[in-house]
Amino acid sequence: MNKNGWVTRGLAGLGALALGLTMAGCSGGSGSASRPENEIHIAMYGDAGNTVEQKIIDTFNATSEVKVVLDKIPGAEYQSKLQTIMDTPNAPDIFFNWGGGSIKSFVDADLVLPLDDFIKEDPQLKEAFLPSVFDTAVIDGKSYGIPMRGTQPVMLFNNSKVLADAGISAPPATWEELLEDVKILKDKGITPIALGAGDRWPTLMWFEYLYDRVAGDGLFKKALEGDTSVWESEDSRKALGMLRELVDAGAFGTNFDSVKFTDGGSPALLASGKAGFELMGSWEYSTQQSNDAQFAAEVLGYSEFPKVEGGKGDENNLVGNTNNFYSVHKNTRYPEVARDFLKLMYSDQFVQEQVGIGNLPTTTNTEKFLDKAADPEYAKYQFNLVKEAPSFQLSWDQAYPPEATVTILTAVSQFFSGQIDEDGFIKAMQSL
Amino acid sequence: MTTTLANRRRPTRAGGPEEGRPARRNGSSSSRPGFVWALPATIFFGLFALVPLIAVAVLSFTTWRGLGDPKFVGLKNWESLFQDPVMLQSLWLSLLFIVLGIVTQTPLSILLGVWAAGTQKNRAILSAIYFVPLLLSSAAISVLWRALLDPNFGIPGQMSWLFGDGNVLGTQTGAIAVLIFVGMWQFTPFHTLIYQGAAKQIPPVLYQAASIDGAGTVRQFFSITLPQLKNSIITSVILMVVGGLTTFETVLILTNGGPGTSTTITAFHMYQEAFRRFDFGAGSAIALVLVIISTAISFAVVRVSGYDKMRSSLEGL
Repeated sequence: MNKNGWVTRGLAGLGALALGLTMAGCSGGSGSASRPENEIHIAMYGDAGNTVEQKIIDTFNATSEVKVVLDKIPGAEYQSKLQTIMDTPNAPDIFFNWGGGSIKSFVDADLVLPLDDFIKEDPQLKEAFLPSVFDTAVIDGKSYGIPMRGTQPVMLFNNSKVLADAGISAPPATWEELLEDVKILKDKGITPIALGAGDRWPTLMWFEYLYDRVAGDGLFKKALEGDTSVWESEDSRKALGMLRELVDAGAFGTNFDSVKFTDGGSPALLASGKAGFELMGSWEYSTQQSNDAQFAAEVLGYSEFPKVEGGKGDENNLVGNTNNFYSVHKNTRYPEVARDFLKLMYSDQFVQEQVGIGNLPTTTNTEKFLDKAADPEYAKYQFNLVKEAPSFQLSWDQAYPPEATVTILTAVSQFFSGQIDEDGFIKAMQSL
Repeated sequence: MTTTLANRRRPTRAGGPEEGRPARRNGSSSSRPGFVWALPATIFFGLFALVPLIAVAVLSFTTWRGLGDPKFVGLKNWESLFQDPVMLQSLWLSLLFIVLGIVTQTPLSILLGVWAAGTQKNRAILSAIYFVPLLLSSAAISVLWRALLDPNFGIPGQMSWLFGDGNVLGTQTGAIAVLIFVGMWQFTPFHTLIYQGAAKQIPPVLYQAASIDGAGTVRQFFSITLPQLKNSIITSVILMVVGGLTTFETVLILTNGGPGTSTTITAFHMYQEAFRRFDFGAGSAIALVLVIISTAISFAVVRVSGYDKMRSSLEGL
């Protein structure tokens, strides 16, 4: 009995010691040594487009000794997850981003590998992409990102069958026509415009476009540079007034705050014919396609955001995501493998696959594949929009640093649901 | 969790080796095992509870975005914390959630628990069914209810006489009601389990005596069952208070703190500051406020209820 007691005590002590040692092993030791051998990890925004990324990876892994692993992170939490792992041993080797503001803090913290040496060896890594797009990920003269996926302008999508049934022959070209269409659809008992306000960023798109159409692309640029007085300007109040008018006209129905885009709520409204329009990024196409390919190809319509009479903005201006990028972490164990993988981003296969799901890569060879797109008409329409747009404003929540995002998104959603008025919105934006 | 483990371990192991332990060893006259016995649990608690707690306390005086090293900024985070209208509102909301949670879950779980402690015919099967929500993860439950409550394709779309336009999650009242309801659906089985175990421990002789005295079922419930469950009620309420303060997944997935900031309870506000705004200093300050409040409430409940004296409810039997 006595002996038994001592044994137990000894075991407990050993256990405690082991626990302490394990803990010590967990902490410390960043850098390439602690990274897995023969693997590089890509942190990827998880959505319907991941199939193409996986296909490219499969192609690459077939001949590479070091395997690429795609770590899909659910879209809504992507930015938070990335920020928390970037400065730890669990950081990805390659990570998806939006260029510009989204990688600035990582570059400042010296966590991103400048790609200029790679480009010197293989100039195609730069020259294969449209310069205006490539430059979004150039910071202080150094290149930090290779464009991937595609450019994602926001467009006004519609269910052409619903519009035809309601006697609307063409998508609205002007704001007045949009208000008319809203009235027609509402009278027929259809929600005129689907809005996933539960996600909040779909609401923001309405602000981005209306501010651009009414005040031109200069207002937001000034605000971003720190001139908060623009939010009080006459144009700003006019845009807010028009938004209020649209909401009050019942354009989004009354229950939009309970609907989300990310769980499929608002795309389903459009696809099922319960709504006539949805303002969304170009990924609406691949979202609808993965649910119902026939609907995407035959019924889904699209048009530019309507122009505003007397507005200062060019009617061809776009808002949205200028492009997505892959950047390389400074501590990666296999920089050469990362380089070789990035070369696939301008390969014919990649461009063709992206075009096939409705994405629009911005490589110089994109145009020759547009005929092979799932919907060539859609691909060409989008390509011309981007090519002809005098200004392409990056989404406000990506243009501002991440800490501003919560304030912006809360303000737009509160304005739509009527919790704050114009002054409340202006005050919130001026607090940034 | 770890403290309860430590407490539980002590008496069970004490019985074994102690009887045979001779008093001669090092002159130890203690009848209880030494500190070494509590060491594994203490180390575990220290590493996974105290160390992070201290780290959070330190972080609350710094500014840190998750990259590089934190910089000390003194009391700045604390000053802005008490001027933040969302923070003050979130404390009221958290309080509301706790109170509504207790009010809805306690009566239901007591009734179910007492019923499940009986010997009725279908009891075992039905109890097993009631138990199911406890087996699901909070995230799964939230996604499930989110889909069920979709205004166009879910239950509200089919029952407009009850839900109107179906904007359940778009109003403050509706969103709070949904969160309370889902919390009730999720956690009632757990508290039922506590009451079932406690109700089974009540000596049948009490009921026999009562029925001889002519007390009916209702009278027996209020005069015997409820008083006998007193300690379990306190345990259950403390768990609800702490659970209510740290409710998070359901808020994140079901309402995202909205509409606007209408359901931004303190725990969600903490997440938002730390992992959306990447202001880990401010997030840590909120975390510390949560720790202080939940500790204070737990102490208060224990004190007021006399739970700390652990008075037996079976005296005289």
